[in-house]
Amino acid sequence: MVVDDDQDLAEMLGIVLTSSGFDVDLVSRGDEALEVFRNNPPDLVLLDVMLPGIDGIEVCRLIRQESMVPIVMLSAKGETQDIVRGLEAGADDYMQKPFRDKAELIARIRTRLRRTNADVTGLLTIGDLSIDVTAHEVHRGSTVIQLTRLEFDLLVALAKDPGRVFTRDALLSEVWGYRHSTDTRLVNVHVQRLRSKVEHDPEHPEIVMTVRGVGYKAGGPA
Amino acid sequence: MRGIRRALAQSLATKVILSTVLLSLGVISLAGSALNSRLSDGLRSAAFNSAISESKYTFFDAEYKLAISRDSTVDERKKILADIIVNATTQVVKEARREVIFLRVPRAVKPSISYEMASSFVRPKNIPANLRIEVAKSAQPQDMYTNIQDSAGYSREVLIVGKRISIPSGGPYEMYIVFSLQDQTTTLQLIRNSLLITGSVLLILIALITYLVVRQVVSPVREAARIAMQFTQGDFSQRMKIESQDEISILANSYNEMALSIEQQITRLENLSRVQQRFVSDVSHELRTPLTTLRMASEVIYNQRATFEPVVARSSELLFAQIERFERLLEDLLEVSRFDAEVAVLEPIDFDVINLVKRCVTDFELGEVDTQSGIRVESDSTSVLIKADVRRVERIMRNLLSNALDHADGKEIIVTVVATDSEVGIGVRDFGSGLDESALIRVFDRFWRADPSRARVRGGTGLGLSIALEDARLHNGELDAWGRPGKGAHFVLTLPRIAGESINGRPIKVTPKDFHEDIFYQ
Repeated sequence: MVVDDDQDLAEMLGIVLTSSGFDVDLVSRGDEALEVFRNNPPDLVLLDVMLPGIDGIEVCRLIRQESMVPIVMLSAKGETQDIVRGLEAGADDYMQKPFRDKAELIARIRTRLRRTNADVTGLLTIGDLSIDVTAHEVHRGSTVIQLTRLEFDLLVALAKDPGRVFTRDALLSEVWGYRHSTDTRLVNVHVQRLRSKVEHDPEHPEIVMTVRGVGYKAGGPA
Repeated sequence: MRGIRRALAQSLATKVILSTVLLSLGVISLAGSALNSRLSDGLRSAAFNSAISESKYTFFDAEYKLAISRDSTVDERKKILADIIVNATTQVVKEARREVIFLRVPRAVKPSISYEMASSFVRPKNIPANLRIEVAKSAQPQDMYTNIQDSAGYSREVLIVGKRISIPSGGPYEMYIVFSLQDQTTTLQLIRNSLLITGSVLLILIALITYLVVRQVVSPVREAARIAMQFTQGDFSQRMKIESQDEISILANSYNEMALSIEQQITRLENLSRVQQRFVSDVSHELRTPLTTLRMASEVIYNQRATFEPVVARSSELLFAQIERFERLLEDLLEVSRFDAEVAVLEPIDFDVINLVKRCVTDFELGEVDTQSGIRVESDSTSVLIKADVRRVERIMRNLLSNALDHADGKEIIVTVVATDSEVGIGVRDFGSGLDESALIRVFDRFWRADPSRARVRGGTGLGLSIALEDARLHNGELDAWGRPGKGAHFVLTLPRIAGESINGRPIKVTPKDFHEDIFYQ
């Protein structure tokens, strides 16, 4: 599903995505997006920030309330606060217009759609969490913790190699599929969000731990 | 002493009070001493006049009594003399005020009977010899101020009036009346003390009054200074209070008008800047969306170029390349206007700068298949952690490397990283065409190119170095350039280890180590 108020751009995205083998729904208004989303649940949402009706960040929040579908924000502004707001509203990734190239867009979409960590199966433990990779579920005791697909991927990426320190760049390439980028805000915001869901006390994380000046690592099993 | 001088230099109030007190001290002591001398002169002359007239009467009385005693016996005459003494000395209450003495004129023929006689507290030796000579010479009364020792040994000031009189059957005698000036001296002392006390009290009061008056003037001035200081520190709402119609209020009024006008100007400029910021943001959105469509459309066309006629195929390549260039230019322009609007924000994180440099270099080496320039990274350390905006530092590195590759003429490029405790320096040295003096001044100017005729290998926007400089300064860092025609160029980035702290030196000197000025051959 592509939500963008610029009809020409939406159409162009449609052409590009269709030619790469995706089925595309085009929506041009923020207030229509949710309806289309419910009627025909997509595998992924490309969402512009500036939309008539309700803005993209709000749309993102609303979709996130009812679905864990991957959301990629499209931003023309590139100002930090917009990006961070979008990510905090639940977006998995964002792309700044104009896109670096078509291949990059397609690559990012494929990364978001692909089952990452396909090589990992079975049960992983990290702290007092148990991760059922096959069933795509995270448990703490008997409680199921709801994670978006990206948050799940991030957690699995860290958990499958406990103790290894991942740099932000490494996580970017592993989880987001970036070939090179220095935009580590993406990682920071998602780690914060993941912590708010899985940590007992997000101020003193025990599961996703910061290694100052380097990156993050998974905490050991409890 | 230094403390006083500093207080004088720093405080108007101290200065005014001190000078007022000093001047008043002068005036009061002048007036006091004038008053003192007038009073003592007056007292003296009053005492003198009364003593003279009194003594005239006493002399007359004595002469008369002696004259009529012509027929008396010696004892009777002695009795008369004693009476005269008693009369004269008891005229007033205080015994000590008058003393009378009769002395025989010296060198007169010594008679058989001596009538020398004195009241209780005076001795013949108390009468000064020169007064006696005067008295002996003249028929008129003579007077003299002198000091005599009293029985207790104290020196007292006295006025002595003497006259020659004759005692029947006794010959010429001198009669002296000694007036004590003790009362007068006491009074004068009292006056002097009163003057001194009054003067001191007056002086203290003057100091106090000056202080109060000065405070009235100085405290509005201090207040004005305080308000101006706060204004300087950015609190533009500060105004001076106007409580009266005096000169201070005129000052306050004009100050307030100035403050208002400055505040309005600033608000106007802030609004302008906000409008500009808004414009930048709008332009960014408005241009980027169509550019995205253009970009994707051109990419679709470009990917199909193999099926086009050669002319159309070439055109699609040009279209594709130029859209890309246009995009870079737009990004750079937006970045520059962000700096101009002062809305660029630093987002520092901890990272390893050597890692970053190596990655940039690798990226360039992978991307630049058409260049022969190798890039060598030299550093003593394997890892240098800094806290900075990694996106900006990477952009600086890319701009410097891209610039160096453009001008290296295929020769090697050396990147050095040197870290100290508080700074890190990154030098990018090329050995290509170099820069002359005039170029060095302009190298950071926007859209300036070292050699306009040069092919734009990497299609730089002409804004790269200018943005790099702004990025460096945003970190409180510096970007220096060195160059000599034909000897290459050297760009040195100096950043504080923690963004925002100040840099105290340059870990890498901008003049490269390998370069020595050929002064001997010039």
